[in-house]
Amino acid sequence: MDVQGRQLSETVWTKLDRKAGAVVELTIRQLRHKISTWVVLSLGAVLMIMLLAFYIDAVRDGFEPVDNDGDSVDEDRDGYPLGQERKYGTSDWDGEQFPGSGTYIYEGEIDWNDENREISGNRTWEGMAYLESTWIDFDYKGGQWDYIIDWDDVTVCPDTRGVVFEDWMPDYSTACQLENGTYVTNGKFTAEGNLSVPMNYFLSWGYITGIFEVPKDPKEMYIDEDDIDWDGSGGSQGIDDDGDCLRIDWFTQNDVNGDLMWWQEPHNPDSNGNGIPCDVIWVIDPETGEVISINADSSVDEDPVDENYVGEAGHRTFVIATGKIAFVLLLGLFLPLFLSLGLVRDETERGTLHYLLSKPIHRGEFILYRVLGYLVVVSIFVLFLSLFMALITSVIGPGDSLVRIGDFPVWLGIAFTTILVLAAYGSLFNTIGLLLPKYGVYLCIVIGVWEFAMGFTTLISPSSTVASLSVSHWGLQLIDSIVLASWPDTIQFSQMSYAFSLDTGLEWIWSPPVHTLDTNNPYMGIITSVVVLLSTSAAMIGIGSAVFSKREIM
Amino acid sequence: MTSDPPAVMLEAVSKWYGEVIGINDVSLAIDGGVTGVLGPNGAGKSTLFKLLLGRLRPSQGAVRLFGTDPWESTSPFRRVGYVSETEPLYEWMTALDFLTTMARLHGMTREEAKNRAEHVLDFVGLSEVRHKEVGKYSKGMRQRVKIAHALVHDPDLIILDEPLHGCDPLARTSIMSVIRELGNRGKTVIVSSHILEEIERITEQIVILHNGRLLALGNLHAIRGLLDKHPHRIMLETESPRKLAKELISEGPIYGVRFPEEGCLEIQTGDLSAAHAILPSAIVNSGIKVTSVENPDDNLDSLLGYLVGG
Repeated sequence: MDVQGRQLSETVWTKLDRKAGAVVELTIRQLRHKISTWVVLSLGAVLMIMLLAFYIDAVRDGFEPVDNDGDSVDEDRDGYPLGQERKYGTSDWDGEQFPGSGTYIYEGEIDWNDENREISGNRTWEGMAYLESTWIDFDYKGGQWDYIIDWDDVTVCPDTRGVVFEDWMPDYSTACQLENGTYVTNGKFTAEGNLSVPMNYFLSWGYITGIFEVPKDPKEMYIDEDDIDWDGSGGSQGIDDDGDCLRIDWFTQNDVNGDLMWWQEPHNPDSNGNGIPCDVIWVIDPETGEVISINADSSVDEDPVDENYVGEAGHRTFVIATGKIAFVLLLGLFLPLFLSLGLVRDETERGTLHYLLSKPIHRGEFILYRVLGYLVVVSIFVLFLSLFMALITSVIGPGDSLVRIGDFPVWLGIAFTTILVLAAYGSLFNTIGLLLPKYGVYLCIVIGVWEFAMGFTTLISPSSTVASLSVSHWGLQLIDSIVLASWPDTIQFSQMSYAFSLDTGLEWIWSPPVHTLDTNNPYMGIITSVVVLLSTSAAMIGIGSAVFSKREIM
Repeated sequence: MTSDPPAVMLEAVSKWYGEVIGINDVSLAIDGGVTGVLGPNGAGKSTLFKLLLGRLRPSQGAVRLFGTDPWESTSPFRRVGYVSETEPLYEWMTALDFLTTMARLHGMTREEAKNRAEHVLDFVGLSEVRHKEVGKYSKGMRQRVKIAHALVHDPDLIILDEPLHGCDPLARTSIMSVIRELGNRGKTVIVSSHILEEIERITEQIVILHNGRLLALGNLHAIRGLLDKHPHRIMLETESPRKLAKELISEGPIYGVRFPEEGCLEIQTGDLSAAHAILPSAIVNSGIKVTSVENPDDNLDSLLGYLVGG
């Protein structure tokens, strides 16, 4: 009983609750009877199922090892991966250059106008000639983009093209064989025999020195070969497992001026500038104990075992991207566009508004209860969807435990954020529906485009001032804050993705929250974002109420 | 000791829609009983009701419901039930459902609301079909659902905008008896119509609006009495109109006759009541057979014509 001796059920507040309950319930039931409600909710559910299908497919395929530092390639196709060529100081863009390929020493030549155009011997030849061979070194091979003839590909010279060296000549780095067994060459080869150089053509010869046998490393040796060496503490860490930072015993080749050859890039083993060559600086926040920054010297820990890191970071990327793009930007905008724009407007158009306005309910209250009714519908839907996503992804996601319990706060946070965004857009669109009953939908679409643009601006540049003039910005910031509060080591995963070139997308989709009032505390980020979103909703409902309360209803 | 303010009070109320006048300088007070608001389409009846329901703000003057301005406060609506002229309902709801929801909008608990809904549905004769969706109701049933909705919170003032419009005779009779019953129960009931006969069957207390002006206010018979003192026509159908005319022209209240068509006599009188008083005996004395007696001027248009024309 209150001070006047009335039962609680008889007080004004309780009656208000009952009216609120009645309007909210009526709104829910009305939305349930609208086809557009079911269409837009179904589309939202289909979107989530499609995303889940992609996720399940990705998990089933597993996490393929990735060559993060790109040294397992063999651009010149000489059989030696870039990582191995680097150690031997050879170019991976020149097929004649490979570990143990030796150095060609020039001895002599027949120029285009020399009189004597015949020569015999066992040498390495380079140029255009007729070759009557007694021996050919078929093992002398290069790779792509070299001048060495590949004897496996030699064909019969075509007689349909006319006279060779007059009407045509063999392609670059090839040879062909005439009917009498003589070869016609245009390339580099090692052979013994008699060579005849046609007038106006050129042939040089010499020998190759310093050849030694180097077994070809398999490409796989240069994938995941420099794992992250970190003991969990801060400071200087890291081991250059593959030696491409320290470069001890690496060959370097210099040109006549003493400069590095073009393929030998200059190297600074202390790019992070801490005076320690080839290390990684790990900065740990003394308060939280979490990694907040990683600064690696180039080529240190740069090709980690992806499975250990990409799995977890990739899973988080999926959760965050789904929360930001699918929940906040797509559901957050499309649900209110279909469900809130006509909350009051449609009653006017249908001619049923008088049933509600001839009751002792202030018009402002009425708008609030209508928006609440809409929010109940969309909130149940969003909660259901987020829990569904949480259940599936937390069971099949990476990790040793059966269910990733730690994911649930993030998914619930995503649902909470989406509901706040839906409240803001719902209040805004309902007010626009009141202000501009006929053309409001077009203004809402324009606002939707703006919100999308600002949402993606926030993803690219979270501290953008312009973007902070949008609801989507604060929604995305709230998710960033909730993620950091629930998964404090996300900064570590994000920094690792950036520092070690891990292919996770985490550093693109997530950034530490901006609006923490310089505290870097994610809970402060949550508070500021929630306050802004709630204030936006309240302001929109306030404007709608003010307009509606003073509007004459014909 | 202070008396309760009247249910409805308008003080010099005017409402303009730009250049168009909706209501012009109307002052009236209504409290208790059934009051008919009469007027042709466009007379200002709907404007008057919208002002009473706080949907329009008066351009001039003051509107009060139970002493409170309905534009500023929704508190009077606790005591007001409104039946609109417009047709739509929430088609997918059952009558019981609809009424329960409407009752809850007045702050009743779910249980109270349901009991009240059952009660008023019984009152308007719809309890048999209360679980049927209103979209499947006939016009008359829909009208009764709307009336029930206006009664569900037991209001002191019930406003009905053209409640008989489009109803069949059976539904009209039923709705009229509901309205009379409400009046008998001491409620203030305001019913609008553009048909004099309808209002006449419900109440004697009327307000006549025309072109936004309050033309007359008071007892229908008193207003009719004024009308009776003015030139009036009585149409008689008889086999011998000329013979009958000769007999009647000598009677005091009758000052002229006309023969508009075969077998028809039109009597012109300055006092309708006096003419009707002498007609039966005069006809009997003449021995001429008369098949019908009609008063063509006894309708709203004539009334308005008289009132406007002075």
